[in-house]
Amino acid sequence: MWWGGRGQSFNIAPQKEEPEMGESRMPEPRSRQLSSCLASGCLPGEQILAWAPGVRKGLEPELSGTLICTNLRVTFQPCGWQRNQDTPLSSEYDFALVNIGRLEAVSGLSRVQLLRPGSLLKFIPEEILIHGRDFRLLRVAFEAGGLEPQAFQVTMAIVQARARSSQARQYLGITPSKAGQGSGSRKPPIPLMETAEDWETERKKQGARGWRVSTVNERFDVATSLPRYFWVPNRILDSEIRRAFGHFHQGRGPRLSWHHPGGSDLLRCGGFYTASDPNKEDIRAVESMLQAGHSDVVLVDSMDELPSLADVQLAHLRLRALCLPDSSVAEDKWLSALEGTRWLDHVRACLRKASDISVLVTSRVRSVILQERGDRDLNGLLSSLVQLLSAPEARTLFGFQSLVQREWVAAGHPFLTRLGGTGASEESPVFLLFLDCVWQLLQQFPADFEFSEFFLLALHDSVRVPDTLTFLRNTPWERGKQSGQLNSYTQVYTPGYSQPPAGNSFNQQLSVWDWDLRYNSAQILQFQNPGYDLEHCPDSWLPRPQPSFLVPGPPSSVWLFSRGALTPLNQLCPWRDSPSLLAVSSRWLPRPAISSESLADQEWGLPSHWGACPLPPGLLLPGYLGPQIRLWRRCYLRGRPEVQTGLSAPIISGLQDELSHLQEAEEDLG
Amino acid sequence: MLGKGVVGGGGGTKAPKPSFVSYVRPEEIHTNEKEVTEKEVTLHLLPGEQVLCEASTVLKYVQEDSSQHGVYGRLVCTDFKIAFLGDDESALDNDETQFKNKVIGENDITLHCVDQIYGVFDEKKKTLFGQLKKYPEKLIIHCKDLRVFQFCLRYTKEEEVKRIVSGIIHHTQAPKLLKRLFLFSYATAAQNNIVTDPKNHTVMFDTLKDWCWELERTKGNMKYKAVSVNEGYEVCERLPAYFVIPTPLPEENVQHFQGHGIPIWCWSCHNGSALLKMSALPKEQDDGILQIQKSFLDRIYKTIHRPPYEIVKTEDLSSNFLSLQEIQTAYAKFKQLFLIDNSTEFWDTDIKWFSLLESSSWLDIIRRCLKKAIEITECMEAQNMNVLLLEENASDLCCLISSLVQLMMDPHCRTRIGFQSLIQKEWVMGGHCFLDRCNHLRQNDKEEVPVFLLFLDCVWQLVHQHPPAFEFTETYLTVLSDSLYIPIFSTFFFNSPHQKDTNMHQRQLSLPLTQSKSSPKRGFFREETDHLIKNLLGKRISKLINSSDELQDNFREFYDSWHSKPTDYHGLLLPHIEGPEIKVWAQRYLRWIPEAQILGGGRVATMSKLLEMMEEVQSLQEKIDERHYSQQAPQAEAPRLLRNSARLSSLFPFALLQRHSSKPVLPTSGWKALGDEGDLAKQEDEFVDLGDI
Repeated sequence: MWWGGRGQSFNIAPQKEEPEMGESRMPEPRSRQLSSCLASGCLPGEQILAWAPGVRKGLEPELSGTLICTNLRVTFQPCGWQRNQDTPLSSEYDFALVNIGRLEAVSGLSRVQLLRPGSLLKFIPEEILIHGRDFRLLRVAFEAGGLEPQAFQVTMAIVQARARSSQARQYLGITPSKAGQGSGSRKPPIPLMETAEDWETERKKQGARGWRVSTVNERFDVATSLPRYFWVPNRILDSEIRRAFGHFHQGRGPRLSWHHPGGSDLLRCGGFYTASDPNKEDIRAVESMLQAGHSDVVLVDSMDELPSLADVQLAHLRLRALCLPDSSVAEDKWLSALEGTRWLDHVRACLRKASDISVLVTSRVRSVILQERGDRDLNGLLSSLVQLLSAPEARTLFGFQSLVQREWVAAGHPFLTRLGGTGASEESPVFLLFLDCVWQLLQQFPADFEFSEFFLLALHDSVRVPDTLTFLRNTPWERGKQSGQLNSYTQVYTPGYSQPPAGNSFNQQLSVWDWDLRYNSAQILQFQNPGYDLEHCPDSWLPRPQPSFLVPGPPSSVWLFSRGALTPLNQLCPWRDSPSLLAVSSRWLPRPAISSESLADQEWGLPSHWGACPLPPGLLLPGYLGPQIRLWRRCYLRGRPEVQTGLSAPIISGLQDELSHLQEAEEDLG
Repeated sequence: MLGKGVVGGGGGTKAPKPSFVSYVRPEEIHTNEKEVTEKEVTLHLLPGEQVLCEASTVLKYVQEDSSQHGVYGRLVCTDFKIAFLGDDESALDNDETQFKNKVIGENDITLHCVDQIYGVFDEKKKTLFGQLKKYPEKLIIHCKDLRVFQFCLRYTKEEEVKRIVSGIIHHTQAPKLLKRLFLFSYATAAQNNIVTDPKNHTVMFDTLKDWCWELERTKGNMKYKAVSVNEGYEVCERLPAYFVIPTPLPEENVQHFQGHGIPIWCWSCHNGSALLKMSALPKEQDDGILQIQKSFLDRIYKTIHRPPYEIVKTEDLSSNFLSLQEIQTAYAKFKQLFLIDNSTEFWDTDIKWFSLLESSSWLDIIRRCLKKAIEITECMEAQNMNVLLLEENASDLCCLISSLVQLMMDPHCRTRIGFQSLIQKEWVMGGHCFLDRCNHLRQNDKEEVPVFLLFLDCVWQLVHQHPPAFEFTETYLTVLSDSLYIPIFSTFFFNSPHQKDTNMHQRQLSLPLTQSKSSPKRGFFREETDHLIKNLLGKRISKLINSSDELQDNFREFYDSWHSKPTDYHGLLLPHIEGPEIKVWAQRYLRWIPEAQILGGGRVATMSKLLEMMEEVQSLQEKIDERHYSQQAPQAEAPRLLRNSARLSSLFPFALLQRHSSKPVLPTSGWKALGDEGDLAKQEDEFVDLGDI
């Protein structure tokens, strides 16, 4: 039944799919001027489908403006607000179509219709509610008085545009409009880890002397999900690598993630490909790559005790349902409902495991290998968390962004799939889980991070903005294909350590780290944590002189880290049984697995080589008890009316303002 | 050693049910530890404090792991505290002592702070009370400030075990007479050593002048007057000597029912509306007396319903609101979440943390209190109505709600002095029965209800949500909550100002205890009277009573509109009360749990930065002022707190008490870096003048 037809003074026909109809159908009086004004903010290839005047509600202050639907996004454009040409996207007023999680039209007090893709609006909406998958809420009340058809049209346009949109198709190749960038000299704000130089620079910065940049995957023929370059032990030949990687799931063999200044190495790799039958040479290559020259080797099962991808997805869906503004959970049942989502439980598990691994890496010089079957989800999460906990460098703004670029983007985390860009299956917001873990750390150590909660929120929201390729592709290979850089590589083989081709298509590529696309400079200033203690800045932290541990023989001890405890392993690889390979040191017995004893106890309960100081400088050990894991309210509860402004941070920033004001005043006097 | 002598560790992550299986194996007692036992460690006694019994070679377990590490020492019971004197006391660093509580040491438990005592017999845990036939191998003491102590008595002489265990049980569990409180011995021995700083003066409300001052401050003196009709407690022992009533009310009326049924002024709002409280009239069966009561109330209500008085809304806290029973049950459940004997227990509860927390409903009770206070605030602020709080004795929930309303509406109450004056006015002079509610005398466990603690927890929610609005911090509140159990301050050790005055001034008379406890909790008025009141108040009030929907709408609108505006920290302050916003007062409840410690983390991590900037702002301000008025240069000392502090932990300033931990993860080294910070300790100790003995 269609409601609009009977006894109404106007008639609304269901709309056909013609993208260009929007402008022509608008009522005459002010549309000409307005639509040209609206169009000025459009991106290339973007078309305005419909618009209607309305008032944004729910957030203070209430704003009147225009709700616009394009084939890319829904925008609420306040009166008098002009889109800055330098920031073509607005973090505040834009709503990417793919971000729409739920759409509701409301009329009066009782008529509410949930609009699914393809559904037909049954009445003239007075208000429209757009619930974002990023927990934001856009609530617009339409103006009455003759403009009802527009309200109807814009709502229907959103329904249809949403049905047509898919994250993968939306990327429009935005080019920055700033002067000087057309010349091809634009340098990405963060090394994108797409050139051998980037990898070499980073390797030197970490002081990983036993490692080199391998170019074996330059043409993505070892694995498309791997980056073009990665770090491997010095002594291993590229040919050996190529063969050895074949024995790992999806060709993702062991690579260095991070070199601890104390000498340990953190590696990551995929699962052993058990069906393969490697020869002796290959096994030796695999083993020495895992051993990385250390006598003590710990294999960490990344999937053990951590949620599965399906768990993460389910928890996130539940969390989103709970955090909806109209969630029916009674206030006194809120806590158990929150517990029921299990989201915080998953956060806790990640932090606990990461904390244990950072103890392993720090407490003695060894090789720690993170092994996950796919090596593209939890390995990235754990490896990044371990680095955040152990390396002050990773806690700076630059360091954190490089970390995400290296361990997630370049390492081939399937962002598109995990964020639901390719349909519902295999969707699992592992990256958002990671961001929540980082937020917990930020809460617990407010003076140790250079970036602020606002920055994390910005990153959180960016994953659904289809402006750059960072989160829109599954592998570095796909990303490279899209930005056109691949051709130069596939046609002309360029050996490693060469200059990147001068073609400007490469340099034009934008990443999520180009914040000025979506955030203005005042907002970007807020990325800085005012409470950051400069004492924690990495420059003031000198790494201890590192002993060069290069053991030629087989490792003296090999451990499997699982269920919070180390158990001795007979061999590293599953393919051969030679129990005599390892001489298990007798003083190393697996600890009794009592859950109350953290690994830190065990590791430092031994005669400690850290001397009197119990915690090495720079290492953070997070709390992960029930009461210490909190809900990221400013992210998940944004749609609710009780959104709060910051608590302690504003005090500091307020003081900072006062300080600079007084300093000025004093200078004026003096 | 890797194993740390752990016994009973099962496999996997499934830890075994917490047990008390393990004892130190003989071979683990290191001989060198035994040798030090001989060394005498001095026990610090307060003036008037006497040692009652003691035992040596007691092993105090380090709480946090199931391994049985411990420290040997002497366990002493005095008439003030139970103290453990560890043999390695020499390790005590002088720098650290600056952060210590001046009265209560790290291993001291005041007798009033003891909550439950358990003994372990053959690996079974039993509550200890009364006369014991058999003496336990291990003594576990749960404290009211949520510390847990475990003492192993295995290596102690049998005679000493008997003496110390029965001594501790007797002095902490047996009913006591008021005059036996340590307070009195202390006051006698330590006279005249209290210097009150006139500048930091907490208003005590024990003189007519104080009340007049408060009336003037709140501009309530037009419609209300301070009366001295109860001077010498001639009318009633429940009320303070001086209080405030509506001006037209004849003073004789107060005498009529010993102060019952009289609207007593709490506070006046800037718009003239006032907060009043009233205690119920005694319940009578006799029709004649009932008739008198009715006409009495009739007169009273007529008076306060006439102009110049605003419309009165009555808020009956005895019915339709929290019962004391609920508070008691909720807190009993809630505190169990934190009273853990070993950390395995904590890990067990960890997964179900939120549902356990919720099932205690303590947070929900906090929410209901805050909500009620907001409702009343709405009536006064937005509707310009007077609010009359009714309660049986007007001394429990009345105190709580009226203090909360004042905190929200009156910025003066958010200064430290103002807050202390508020507690003095509403709780101490308001006749809250601290003695019974804290069960200091162990006379009636049923009367033990943590109403004041509930109030502090509500205040904490406000402080936590709006830190810039308060002059004091959560640490102040935590230390204040601890002082409930330290019997050298008289503030929290009496049921009424009358009881305090008679006992403090004429102790030699040893008056019988005034047990003014009345009948079980019921509705405020009997039904007939209830009916009568509704008639009396007429349509004005019935409108409010009947249309609860409208009330809800008003509340919502007021609440939402306040929260949608930017906060003025010097004006009206409302808390958020939605589900996710009410939180656990982590500092108070988690501070003794080492696992909860975040080294280098927590709020204190940014505190030094904040203080540094404050210092800089202040010195710049001074420089500018100097140039403007070069003649005067009063140099205020900039706060030099937390300077040079390397890495504090989130449990600061309580974390240092974990010093004996065997865990190397704990910040033992960080503390040494703390320099000249006596100021902080001083500041935190200033709650002392709340008591003004």
